[in-house]
Amino acid sequence: MIRLQDVQKRFGARLAVDGLTFHVPRGEVVGLLGHNGAGKSTAIGMMLGQVWPTRGEVRVCGWDVTRHRRRALEKVGAIFESPAFYDYLSGWRNLELLSSYTAPTPRQRLDEVLDWVGLRGRERSPVRTYSHGMRARLALAQALLPGPELLILDEPGSGLDPEGLHEVRQTVLRLHRELGLTILLSSHLLAEVEQLCTRIIVLRDGRKVFEGPLEETRRHGRWLRLRVDDFARATALLEAAGLISGQRDGRHIALANGVDAPQVVCHLVRHGIAVSEIAPEPETLETFYLALMSANS
Amino acid sequence: MLLLHLRNELWKLFGKKRTYIGFAMFLLAQNAMLLTFRFTRWRTDMERLLEGNGYLAQEFISALTVAVIMLIPQVILLMPLYATLVGGDLVAKEAEDGTLRMILARPVSRFRLLLVKWLAGGVFAVVLVLALGATALLCARVWFPWKGMFVFAPGQAFAVLGAAEGFQRYLLAHLFLAVNAATMLSLAFMFSCFNVKPAAATILALSYLFVNLVLEAIPFFDRFEVWLLPHHFRCWLQVFSAPVPWADLLQSQCVLLAANCTAFIVGAAVFQVRDIKS
Repeated sequence: MIRLQDVQKRFGARLAVDGLTFHVPRGEVVGLLGHNGAGKSTAIGMMLGQVWPTRGEVRVCGWDVTRHRRRALEKVGAIFESPAFYDYLSGWRNLELLSSYTAPTPRQRLDEVLDWVGLRGRERSPVRTYSHGMRARLALAQALLPGPELLILDEPGSGLDPEGLHEVRQTVLRLHRELGLTILLSSHLLAEVEQLCTRIIVLRDGRKVFEGPLEETRRHGRWLRLRVDDFARATALLEAAGLISGQRDGRHIALANGVDAPQVVCHLVRHGIAVSEIAPEPETLETFYLALMSANS
Repeated sequence: MLLLHLRNELWKLFGKKRTYIGFAMFLLAQNAMLLTFRFTRWRTDMERLLEGNGYLAQEFISALTVAVIMLIPQVILLMPLYATLVGGDLVAKEAEDGTLRMILARPVSRFRLLLVKWLAGGVFAVVLVLALGATALLCARVWFPWKGMFVFAPGQAFAVLGAAEGFQRYLLAHLFLAVNAATMLSLAFMFSCFNVKPAAATILALSYLFVNLVLEAIPFFDRFEVWLLPHHFRCWLQVFSAPVPWADLLQSQCVLLAANCTAFIVGAAVFQVRDIKS
């Protein structure tokens, strides 16, 4: 659905995105991760034809956005961090206005979408009277109006309370499950990405440092949870024997290359240390992300 | 689709309170001027001027005469302010508020978006001028009778007309005033297409007009006056001259039309290559 090929974007002397290549396959929920200024919003801007790439090609729904913007965005909905509306107009009028730039929208379709996002009954009130959560739902409604196949969400949970975040998460899951949408989600909330996404792309300083299925990030785990009476003595013994390459927080060890857990247990038992537990620690997206960032720093 | 988009732009434009500031201020200024004219020496000075030229003052101190007297300062001072205020908002305010980014996530071309905004601005300019003319005449009619018309603008026009002909010329003058307002708005619209704040776009347009006005006042620039916009803005007063200098009027309208188109093309070119970011 989205394909970026060797894309570069320069703002004056600053290189915001450099040599960025990735693709978002149809039907997947893809998380776009990165620190502030990593180039996520710039990349999204280029996908929507709002930012011109300095070099490279951006294709959305099979069309080159820079040349065939209208066709490329026909089946695309987008939500931005802090969605902006015409506050002095009603929610209904805002939806009419924004959807008209795709195609005239029948009243029935507006009703359907308002029902879907749960804004029925407040659609005639001015948007300035809406709460933050209602604005987020209105943003979702405008994104759904053209009947999109691809949804681009740029920090959709920004500024929402825990209930609002939960609602956004459930909505994204529902959109994927019930409507089969392809979703690109840019977010700082790693837990949210972990729960929603099937693939992730990680950017650092405008460059891609990881792209792959979410399971792959879990496979990268190298830490074992070790429960013994004296962790310090145990790790000292293991280090002396060259069986571990690291230890952390008094609970975890990293095995040296070619070493497996039974070898560690045997070694400890031989030296009189009882092992209560040794088990692989499932890696979270957060630990994976942080390790990736420090490895690339 | 173009008409639908234009209708939407008009909804946005006329849905905002600040769009009506100009209308409210015109009404306020008109009534202030009307009361000043009615109750100060302004009126007696005018009567003396008429009688000094051999006309019966009572026949020409009328609603039409007073309406034009009120129009002149408002057209010079207030109209540029409100036309550029709205013109400066058209693109820059949407960019500042973030709604432009919402629109540009849609499959609409930047050119079309700008075109409908510019056309909506043109509609606003026409409505502003019509409201200005209508309220000036209505307010004046409350205090003064419907009689002959006397227009005296030093260096521009001196005319004495019957009520019917005066009213026709008054209507015609508003056609040219609408072009003036549209040109001022287009200038602000052009600056609004750059990556600037709405107020900056308004100030830039007003500065451009002010510099033109200053240059025109310098005798050295007399030979270049046809290149300066205020020279052409004043053509609406020539409508009241006898005979009407149609050739000059046509020339001025062509220059103003060209200025409008140039402002739009420059604005569209800048907007086309601009990056829209939050």
